[in-house]
Amino acid sequence: MPILVSLEKCRGRFTPIQHHLQISPGRLSDNLKRMTESGLLRHLSPYERRHPALPEYVLTEKGRLFREAALMLQAAELELGYGRLSAKAWNMPVLLALHYKHEHFQDIRQALQQVTPSMLSARLGNLHELGAVDKQLIAQPRPSFLYHLQQPAKRPIHRLADNLDSIV
Amino acid sequence: MFKPGVTIWYSVKSLKDTIHFYKELLGFELVFHDADSGMAMVNTTTKDCIIGFSEAEEVIPSTSSTVFEVYDIETSRRSLEQKGVTFIGETETVPDMAKLATFVDPDGHSLMLSEELSPL
Repeated sequence: MPILVSLEKCRGRFTPIQHHLQISPGRLSDNLKRMTESGLLRHLSPYERRHPALPEYVLTEKGRLFREAALMLQAAELELGYGRLSAKAWNMPVLLALHYKHEHFQDIRQALQQVTPSMLSARLGNLHELGAVDKQLIAQPRPSFLYHLQQPAKRPIHRLADNLDSIV
Repeated sequence: MFKPGVTIWYSVKSLKDTIHFYKELLGFELVFHDADSGMAMVNTTTKDCIIGFSEAEEVIPSTSSTVFEVYDIETSRRSLEQKGVTFIGETETVPDMAKLATFVDPDGHSLMLSEELSPL
C-alpha cells in the first residue's frame, strides 16, 4: 500500500521510493517484483527508458484502481485513529466484514474466505483490544460471541465501504 | 537552434561509488547531488559539458563512449591506472586522427581518453 501511494510522488524511481519509505533495497525489490507480477505495475527495462531520470516503474490501470483504494484505506485509518491497521493482513477486511453485518466468527470467516481461524481470532482480539470491535457473549443456541463495530469505528468504515463500492 | 554545451546521462547502481569515481579519480567537479532522489551531476573540464547520474535498480552498461580529450594519453592513462581505474585493452591509434584508451566507470559504462594526433 505505501508503494502504491508513493510511487508517482517518487517519480517511479527505485532510489527515491526506497528513501521515502525507509525500507531495505532487497525488500523494496521483492515487493516491486510481486506487484509487477500481480499486474499493478509495469517495470520499464533499461532499454525502454529514454532517460535515466525517467520512471523505472509505472502504475498500470489496475494499479491506479488499487492506488485509489489504498488512498481510501489510508483516509479511513487516519479517521479511525488506531495507527496503520492495514500494515497487518486482514485488519481492514475484518472491519469491512463487520460493517456488512457478518457478526458470527464463522460468518466472518466465510465472508473473508482465505483467512485462517487462528488469524481471524488474533485480528478480532487485537481489534477488540484497540476498541474498534465489540464482542458480546450470547448463550443461545449455544454459547458464542457476536462481533460488532464499536460506535466510533462505524462512520469511518461505513464511508470506506461506500468509497470502495464507488470504484469497483 | 542548439544552446552551447552537452549533457550526458547515465543510470548507475550506486551514486556514492559513482561520485567517488568521477570526483576523486577523474577529478571532475560535483555540481549537483541529491541523495534522496539518487541523482548527481559533475562538470567536466569543459564548460557546459556535464555528466548526470541517476540511480536505478537495473543498469545496463553503456557501450557508447564519452570521450575526454587529454594532452598526453600515456601519462594520463598511467596516472588513472595508479588510482585504480580499469582500462580495457591497449591504447589504440586511429592513424592521422587520435590515440584512444578505453576505461570503465563502476557500472561498466564505457569511457575513453583521446589524444588528438592532428586537428580535424
